[in-house]
Amino acid sequence: MSRVEKNRLEWAVFGVGLVLVLGTVGFLAWDAAQGGGSPPDLSVSLGSPERRAEAWAVPVTVRNRGEETAEGAHVEVVLELPDGTREEAEIDFAFVPRGSKREGWVQFLHSPASDRLTGRVTGYEQP
Amino acid sequence: MSQKGRPDGRKRRVRQSLREYARGIAGGLLFSLPLLYTMEVWWAGFVARPPRLLGYFLVGFLLLFAYNRYSGLRRDASWLEVAFEAFEEMGLGLVLSVLMLWLLGQIQTSMPMSEIVGKVVVEGVTAAIGISVGSAQLGGSGEDDGQGMGAGKGQKDDPDTGLAAQLVLASCGAILFASNVAPTEEIVMIAAEASRWKVLGLALFSLGLCALVLFYSGFRGSDRLIPDKDQGWIAMLSRTVVNYAVALAASAFILWFFGRFAGLSAAACLAQTVVLGVAGALGASAGRLLLQSSSS
Repeated sequence: MSRVEKNRLEWAVFGVGLVLVLGTVGFLAWDAAQGGGSPPDLSVSLGSPERRAEAWAVPVTVRNRGEETAEGAHVEVVLELPDGTREEAEIDFAFVPRGSKREGWVQFLHSPASDRLTGRVTGYEQP
Repeated sequence: MSQKGRPDGRKRRVRQSLREYARGIAGGLLFSLPLLYTMEVWWAGFVARPPRLLGYFLVGFLLLFAYNRYSGLRRDASWLEVAFEAFEEMGLGLVLSVLMLWLLGQIQTSMPMSEIVGKVVVEGVTAAIGISVGSAQLGGSGEDDGQGMGAGKGQKDDPDTGLAAQLVLASCGAILFASNVAPTEEIVMIAAEASRWKVLGLALFSLGLCALVLFYSGFRGSDRLIPDKDQGWIAMLSRTVVNYAVALAASAFILWFFGRFAGLSAAACLAQTVVLGVAGALGASAGRLLLQSSSS
């Protein structure tokens, strides 16, 4: 076998490269072995409302616990007012990758009491 | 420059390696910048499933390895040296992608590892091939003698013009060029809207492009790199067809990776492949000649 001649810098770069390449292959192989490709599994959680200049803003977090990415997730948040009427707000998330969360805000004109707020995902695409 | 004249044998000085890495990084950015600035490519990093990403990464690594072997500059280097170089270049490509994606705000610490790794892999493969091409081809002649990473030889010999070298370099050229437009929605749109005759026209145009670049335009390196240039029209035709076949195969591979074939009829897949094949054909012919012609 022929000898490989490298200076110290080249050995260092090679070492880092070796670790990165093997690490990447290892991670991808491990990740591939984990999941059976279950479809997107989205859930919505709402934070506490904050007063803004013209409205009340409610933080919305969408989590995807499935194994596939969800595209164009549409979230609807409903506020039930004491007089029986409803105020609705909507938000779209372009992508919610598998195992990750995406955050956004919806706004209401009326002051939302958090026990009267409900949020749900109404639909998404599988890319 | 003879090897015996160097006090440290085949080793090069750290300063020389640094300059070469700098050249490689410039080359890596030159080829991967369009991809780094394209959102469909970021999306592919988390939409693609891990087995597909793994396949893409391994094919990219093999291509990098094969490019180093056949690029004509390092033909006396051993397989081991070539493999070591491929690791260096892929490592640099991944680090460069991490840095650029972070600066562009596309990877954040709040993201899951699978998303970060996916994005870095998709960008890193092209960056690594660009780094390899850059370090080999962007150097001027002179004391750095335009060598690729790790190779310490002084003189250039005749380039490898065999079928394996031809296929590998044409694939590298096709993938480098085609991957810049492959992830965009435009390919899907053009293929969906084009009539059958236009698709046929694009295929004939691509074939003509291959033939023009390889045999008629006096492209840089074409006289040295295509030995059967004067062997009549059958040799020319077969070389043109092989070139276009490589372009189509590379285009189909990239489209498959970006999930463009999912749920489509065979005819629609073929139309997309032909549409992207124009870029592939350009890369497999003109790109390949540029990749293989030495910097002297």
